[in-house]
Amino acid sequence: MMSNDPVTYAIDVQNLTVGYGSNILMKDLNFTVNNGEIFVILGGSGCGKSSLLKNLFGLYQPISGDVLIEGQNITAAQGAQRQKIMTSFGVMYQQGALFGSMNLLDNVTLFMQEYTQMTQSEMNLLARCKLDLVGLLPYESYMPSEISGGMQKRAAIARAMALDPAILFLDEPSAGLDPITSADLDSTILDLSKNLGITFVIVSHELASIYAIADKVIMLDKGAQGIIAEGDPKVLRDTSTDPRVHQFFNRIMSKDAA
Amino acid sequence: MDISQPATSNPTKPVAVWSTIDDANAKVLLRGNVDVYSLGEVWGQINETQQSWLGQNPQQSKTLTFDASQVDSLGGAGIAFLIDLEEAQKKSGGTFSLVGLDPRYQPLLKEFDPISNLFPPPVIKPQRGFIVSTGMATQNLLDDVKGLITFTGHLAADLFWSLRNPSQVRWGDFVNAAVQAGIAALPIVGLVSFLIGIILSFQAAIGMQQFGATSFVGPLAALGIVREMGPLITAILLAGRSSAAFAAEIGTMTVNSEVDALVTGGLSPIRFLVVPRVLAGILVMPILTLYADIVSILASMFTMLAYGIPFINFYNGMIAAVSLEDILSGLVKATLFGIVVSAVGCLRGMQTGTGAAAVGISATRAVVSSIVMIVLVDGIFAVISYKTGF
Repeated sequence: MMSNDPVTYAIDVQNLTVGYGSNILMKDLNFTVNNGEIFVILGGSGCGKSSLLKNLFGLYQPISGDVLIEGQNITAAQGAQRQKIMTSFGVMYQQGALFGSMNLLDNVTLFMQEYTQMTQSEMNLLARCKLDLVGLLPYESYMPSEISGGMQKRAAIARAMALDPAILFLDEPSAGLDPITSADLDSTILDLSKNLGITFVIVSHELASIYAIADKVIMLDKGAQGIIAEGDPKVLRDTSTDPRVHQFFNRIMSKDAA
Repeated sequence: MDISQPATSNPTKPVAVWSTIDDANAKVLLRGNVDVYSLGEVWGQINETQQSWLGQNPQQSKTLTFDASQVDSLGGAGIAFLIDLEEAQKKSGGTFSLVGLDPRYQPLLKEFDPISNLFPPPVIKPQRGFIVSTGMATQNLLDDVKGLITFTGHLAADLFWSLRNPSQVRWGDFVNAAVQAGIAALPIVGLVSFLIGIILSFQAAIGMQQFGATSFVGPLAALGIVREMGPLITAILLAGRSSAAFAAEIGTMTVNSEVDALVTGGLSPIRFLVVPRVLAGILVMPILTLYADIVSILASMFTMLAYGIPFINFYNGMIAAVSLEDILSGLVKATLFGIVVSAVGCLRGMQTGTGAAAVGISATRAVVSSIVMIVLVDGIFAVISYKTGF
């Protein structure tokens, strides 16, 4: 059955158990992300969304289970093979995590210097293209500390796209941003998805942003240690009978629900 | 009431007054602006009075009436005061009745219902036994050693890599680190080694003078400086300045997820962050040490001049006592110190936890571990040079 299946998922998560040492956050997760999809992982604060994300892109080693990125198992990969898988995706960290000692252009060219044979002027042009895609072209010579939080996040997306990855992982892109900046970022994500066909895996709990961009969501729950809902966010909002899901999508306070 | 005059400034008018009616009944009258400032003066007194009243004739059922009818305003502290008295009443089996509280304060009071939740039983932290603590400390030590060994392996591999691929080393970072650790350190290294040169020869001269042997002080001090004091002082200063700086730099990057961003970008943080700094340490340590040696010896020369030893005599004695091998031995040791100190600083930086405090802890640990490693390396080097004569 499997061998006949021509579809390769962008990400295929198999029996993944996530946690730290003996402290298990999520048990036996199974889900897939299709190519070109905007996939949002959501759930309340502290339920392990960010930890799950870091397991997906291989920063943390899961307790058990496998993560296949474009058919290749990143969990089992070592050395050069692992490095090769890692260049197939980009990551934007929660606070941007730009390299503070380099300007935006250098931040974007850094990974190119390591992996490509391009000359510096070629890399600069390519980096300018990336910065233009996120609307930061005039700021290429600014240091990360000289631009706002929203711009830092966009610059981090530009850096994550340096090596033309097929997948982008974004950790809470709209957290701490005002509604307008957040909406701008959403439209950037939609543009990139539409124009470049990039698959997005996004951790978020901003409802407005989720409704605007998500093709598919999974909702995690701390108590259940796993996925309690999966699908289109608007459909979940209107049809889910699970009180936790209903509560989340309709912003009902826990006191009232109880 | 004059708005410029805070409620606390009127000592004749306490906000809460206790009046004992009899063994079974007492009353607290609350009045005026009850806020966190005015209550501070009376809360404790009222509490004590209540306790001693409750203590008298404890079999009797006691009723405390709380009259809030004269309250002008009531803050969060007033509510807490009310709750405190009520809980004390309930605990002793008495009753508490609240009269005259303005309805606008009722919702806030209701928020805390039931009030017993505000008095949780004290949490008793389980005490770790001696064996458990020892075990955990041992585990931590083993983890630390394991981390050190893994790091050393990675670093050695990446240093060899940098020899084979010199064009891929981040020379910009290397130059920055070398300038910061080297050129910027010249004044302090000069100052300390000048002082050490003076002290060393001065102290030795005091003793040697009794035997009329002051002419031997110069060669002795020079030998001690080039073989031991020069490298040691420079290394300790490097530990205090640059090891801490490396730990803080890399620690801040760790806290900001910049190191994670390197890893997920497929770049080795050791190659990217540690190798340039360790190479800088390797470059600057022997140079700084040579500089410290020269300054120290000059200081020693000037000191001995005060004891009537002319420069030329000092120089001749030194040339006879100190061989090129001694100087080289000191410089080789200095290079080892340079590797150890800069590598330990980087390691501690990469081991940084989360938050601003963690960066401070890493910087401290970097200095302490560097000095421990300096002592260790110095000891090993002393044994080797004793056995081999180098």
